[in-house]
Amino acid sequence: MNEKIGVYVCECGPNISERIDIDRVLEEISSAEGVKVAKKFGLLCSNDGKNYLADEIKKEELTHLVVAACSPREHEQTFMNVCLEAGLNPYLFQLINIREQCAWMISDKEEATRMAIKYIHAGISRVTLHKPLLKKELDSIPDVLIIGGGISGIEAALCLAGKDRKVYLVEKTELLGGMVKKFSELLPYQGSNLAVIEEKIEQVQNNENVEILTSSEVEDVRGFLGNFEAVIKSKSNGSGTKEIKIGAIIVATGFKLFDPKNTPQFGYGKIENVLDALEFEEMSASGKILLKNGNPPKSVALIHCVGRNEKGYCSKVCCLYSIKFARHLQDKLPGIDVSEFYSDLCLPDKADQDYFEEAKKKGIHFIRADDFELKEKDGKINVEYKAAGGKKDSIAVDMTILAPAMVPSEDTSKLAEILNLPLDETGFFKEVHEMLDPISTPIEGVYVAGCALGPKNIPESIIQSQAASGKILSSLIPGKKIEPEVKVSEIREEFCTGCQTCLSVCFYGAISFDEYKGISVVNEAICRGCGSCVGSCPSGAIRSKHFTYPQLYREVLQALR
Amino acid sequence: MTATQIDSNKMPTKGAIVSAEEGINKTIVDIFKKSLEKKCFDAILIPVRVPETEAYAWVLLKDQSLLDEANPLPPIISVQGAKALRSLTKRGKMTQNIAAILRPCEIRAAVELSKLKQIHLDNISLISIDCPGAMPLSDYLADPEKSKKIYKNVLEKWGENNSVRPVCHICNRFSLPSLLPRKSEETSPVEQDEANLPSIDLHIGLLGGNQEKIFLIPVNPKGRKILEELELKSDDSLDIWQTKVSEVQDKKEKIRKEFNLELKEKIEGQEKLTAMFNECINCHNCMRVCPICYCQQCFFDSGALTLSPETYLSRSEKKGALRFPLDTMLFHLGRMSHMVLSCVSCGVCEDACPMSIPVAQIFSLVADQTQKSFDYAPGINKEEPLPLQDFLEDEFHEVETPKEVN
Amino acid sequence: MKNPNVLVIGSGVAGMEASLILGEAGQKVYLIERKSLIGGQTIKFEEVYPNMECATCMIAPKQQEILQNENIELFLLSEVEQVKGSVGEFKVKIKKKARYVSLANCIGCGACYEPCPVSLENEFEEGLSKKKAIAVPCPGALPNVPTIDPENCLRLNGKKKECQACKEACMFDAINFSEKDEILDLEVGAILIATGFGLLDVKNLPQYGYRKAKNVYTAMEFERLYAANGPTEGKLVLRDGETPKSIAIIHCVGRSEQGYCSGVCCMYSTKFSHFLKHKIPEAKICEFHTDLCIPGKSHQKFYQKILNQGVDFIRFDDIKVEEKNGKMQVIYKNGNGEKAKFIADMIILSAAMIPGGDTESLAKTIGISLDKKGFFSTQSEKLSPVATAVDGIFVAGCAEGPKDIPGSIAQAEAAAGKILSILR
Repeated sequence: MNEKIGVYVCECGPNISERIDIDRVLEEISSAEGVKVAKKFGLLCSNDGKNYLADEIKKEELTHLVVAACSPREHEQTFMNVCLEAGLNPYLFQLINIREQCAWMISDKEEATRMAIKYIHAGISRVTLHKPLLKKELDSIPDVLIIGGGISGIEAALCLAGKDRKVYLVEKTELLGGMVKKFSELLPYQGSNLAVIEEKIEQVQNNENVEILTSSEVEDVRGFLGNFEAVIKSKSNGSGTKEIKIGAIIVATGFKLFDPKNTPQFGYGKIENVLDALEFEEMSASGKILLKNGNPPKSVALIHCVGRNEKGYCSKVCCLYSIKFARHLQDKLPGIDVSEFYSDLCLPDKADQDYFEEAKKKGIHFIRADDFELKEKDGKINVEYKAAGGKKDSIAVDMTILAPAMVPSEDTSKLAEILNLPLDETGFFKEVHEMLDPISTPIEGVYVAGCALGPKNIPESIIQSQAASGKILSSLIPGKKIEPEVKVSEIREEFCTGCQTCLSVCFYGAISFDEYKGISVVNEAICRGCGSCVGSCPSGAIRSKHFTYPQLYREVLQALR
Repeated sequence: MTATQIDSNKMPTKGAIVSAEEGINKTIVDIFKKSLEKKCFDAILIPVRVPETEAYAWVLLKDQSLLDEANPLPPIISVQGAKALRSLTKRGKMTQNIAAILRPCEIRAAVELSKLKQIHLDNISLISIDCPGAMPLSDYLADPEKSKKIYKNVLEKWGENNSVRPVCHICNRFSLPSLLPRKSEETSPVEQDEANLPSIDLHIGLLGGNQEKIFLIPVNPKGRKILEELELKSDDSLDIWQTKVSEVQDKKEKIRKEFNLELKEKIEGQEKLTAMFNECINCHNCMRVCPICYCQQCFFDSGALTLSPETYLSRSEKKGALRFPLDTMLFHLGRMSHMVLSCVSCGVCEDACPMSIPVAQIFSLVADQTQKSFDYAPGINKEEPLPLQDFLEDEFHEVETPKEVN
Repeated sequence: MKNPNVLVIGSGVAGMEASLILGEAGQKVYLIERKSLIGGQTIKFEEVYPNMECATCMIAPKQQEILQNENIELFLLSEVEQVKGSVGEFKVKIKKKARYVSLANCIGCGACYEPCPVSLENEFEEGLSKKKAIAVPCPGALPNVPTIDPENCLRLNGKKKECQACKEACMFDAINFSEKDEILDLEVGAILIATGFGLLDVKNLPQYGYRKAKNVYTAMEFERLYAANGPTEGKLVLRDGETPKSIAIIHCVGRSEQGYCSGVCCMYSTKFSHFLKHKIPEAKICEFHTDLCIPGKSHQKFYQKILNQGVDFIRFDDIKVEEKNGKMQVIYKNGNGEKAKFIADMIILSAAMIPGGDTESLAKTIGISLDKKGFFSTQSEKLSPVATAVDGIFVAGCAEGPKDIPGSIAQAEAAAGKILSILR
């Protein structure tokens, strides 16, 4: 046994020293196998304490360091840094928690001391089996692939493109601008007019650091943060493919509208002059709001929440754009009678309610209703409904505009498969953490922004694009190396039977199957060391580099002595 | 989805009744010969008696003439059929069409192994058969003639005597088509067939045939095609087969329940369970023959459990004595926790035990209960993922709060 | 050459997120926080919707990171006094109030609280409990170091100059009565305002009976009531010690007065129902709302679940709270125009979100404008929802307008991104 283990017990002020008999602890553990020195110190995390430890490591020529103190969450990194600076591999170190797990929990001093001794013994027997793991550094490519050339994609491109960072903007259709380009106007308080969008499109087209690939789709993506390879297929140019190398990807594939044909009670596709929101946008953008017979409408009904119950969520923007339509109709066709039918008014932004109040003042009728049935009657559309309170009523109008739910765009599931991204129940891309990480995916380096994540308005889409850009600007710095996780999993080839159970439980897509050898392989650059695969492997062929069975068994067996 | 109850509405209703005047074995063998002739299959995997011995071996046959020694239902299970399939297809799928005739437990083990990517079922036509059980291996080896005579009786009097192995006696999964997964009521019978996920194409029904006829039952369109190619009509009514299967099933369910209750008493509690394994010599035979134990190196063969001499000495001191071989209970309980969710109660483990420990009976009992709590039936539904590979965020709330223990 | 440092005002989720992104990118961040602890409003919640995740557990890792990140310098009990200059070269004066307890020496043992003779209302606990003049606002506060309130401390306000009960109890020599307020000069390249929100003071809306009827609570008070580290340790008892059997939760309090919907109250009110149903299964719970605003992807599903658990959702046109014969009544006009009443043991008011802190004076100090609703104004004309009219000054989180936690975090990341692109 050539180990020289140094064990240092922190008094942590009165926190540990008052509740545990440290001297007895030292007495007991100094005779443990491999222990060269066992001492105590007042406050190891202080600057004095850290210097003391560094000195001890060098003086005593320690091969392993064990510190008994507070929770690893507090100071594991602190002491690992001390090891690093003192020339000891930081993974040949174990922090034993005798504060939160002993002193602060056990009121009987005898018992607390006994437990502390047990824990420290267990840690000592474990640490000798630690491997001196090495940090890895990988070169990274700062360039970014943005999938989707709508407002979200364009905004991200503008934020990211720079001298030392190239951006590839891939758009399925022939034109940039996405859905927003089809609108006739924006909500006034969101941005005065479409010129803002046109400006952004022009900026991105003139930016020499952005390569725009329209009529193109992403066919395949391989790799990991800092080192992705993507295959882009172009529909023009004789269907050629292009391979690009990037460091990060932003998915901004937007939305499409729920097909109102699935809710036949609204008569969409059957009754004339029943339009959905996008059709109305296009109509008003053309400048001519006309019925099928060529005359302008004299009365319009706008119906919100179409498809809401079917999809199971509120699409957030429809109340507002329906009000926008109503006001637009009044402006363009003075004297027109406009009625808005809704179940709940969703007006969550600070300027929305004023907008709504003004609309009310302008004589737009707001009727809370549900249970719709639209029928053709005498050349008009008869909208039958049940008002709040249960009374059945109806109204005859020339034109009806439906506000259908926002649903994920066409290629969402295909793209999700290519990128190995999860979708949630609603079919939109699923964010890593609904609260704290609303734009990241489990695949490091791949972000989603805009309506691809769920219904939202233009400013929110822009914020999300800027957020994704912010995360990339912060983590993928030109010239900076990526340091992947060290405590990853590894598969021992000789024991792997190729059952691929690990593949199916890996949340991060870090495991792939080698067909030739018939075994699974861990990509250490993507692996986050969560250990799900280790637990799931029926053969025990996978283990964590820092939590091997021998290490765990030694620790547990020692603790149970 | 547990599949221990049968729903006769879901059982196949039509098949081909074939006369078995020349004996069931010969009838079946003749059908296979014809299938090779007509090129329904390029090869057949079937147990064949090793000439001049009483032993049986799995043979992948291309030569029809060898079929004369074949027996689809040998009196013993020497090697679990799923293991044969695993050897064949571990490295890749079959490149020609083969038929494999296996006992229900062997088929189920094969399906489980396919979920673990150890067997590729592509291009394999699995053919199952009503199985009355198998004779205890040690009895057979001691006096093959006697066993063979008893087995003939077993085939005639299904479920009425218990000379077969204990796990066979209590087996309630002896006729696979009766365990078809429940699909929604809306799908038409044809769609039901196509949605039927037991991977068997064809089933050979013996029950109700009185040793005079057998039933060739197509379980899916592929099965129907095979019968067509064999120039057999598949529109005979299967009423008598269905009735007899239901009857035997009911009987078996009762027997199984009673047996398991008794067994539970015998093994409940640490002392009783340990006593059951008193004679165990830790040879690990049970693990070696088990089709579900497919690991390259069994954890319990690895060095993970070997400790230093000092540790053993101190254990001996603490407890007063230390018994060797070590860790026998740990091995059994460990192996149980690793494979019991896929255990198909085939019983080869008990046959292989040199100390005659009722290991199959014990593992079957635990398997029944654990599989039930996951609502999982191994080997029935090819598409049903293994419970540990498939989880919902919202499940097993009932185990969150510990129940009061008296 | 632009100064690479960034000033972040406010250490709630938005301020912390932005600081971490900037810190990771290598920028030096000065994080200014008005109070003595970090974490903003989120640390007051027990659970957050829609998954009922433990709020404090959720952001504890971020708080830890803030305290340990070497690129982030934290100034507590600090406010911005003066801002001069322009993007890339702002000169900021910070007033840092004295804590009187050393952050370096104090290890948070709490020995100093008991001997202190002064007891006062705990603002963090919404007045539901008391604390000493030397105290941390709540168990689990980070940093875990107390502050001395100079107005109430007998020694510091002159009423008993010789009192040093706390100092005597301290084993680490962490208490220093002679600490003085400081003015610090900082030079930064960009400024981010993330001063968060507060709730509308419902005292000014007498129709809700707050402070008149016995058991009317604001949403924040209720949050503290059900927090495990709160004044009742999560036990649901009313001011008179009783357990409520019928509870009314009133949405949209202050909505018409303020002129906007706060967007989060319907969801957090439903969260309250979820908790109440779990704690008091037999209780009758009624949620009163005008419109139901539940815009998130998973929100409707959560609402449906609560509806199925037997919680009533009643639409109202007019509503008020009255006390009659010792019992509280919610008197309302429902969606059909009919008058009705609901007798409640407990009433919770979900009040409008207003900007946090003293936005008017901060806006003046920094030189940016507020919008009509009192929130910091951003350049909506240019579709730039985090940028103010002044180059280099950004807003994120509820300081910009009412929003939920993911909205604040996304905005903070966006602002950090914008700052990075300016400063590089």
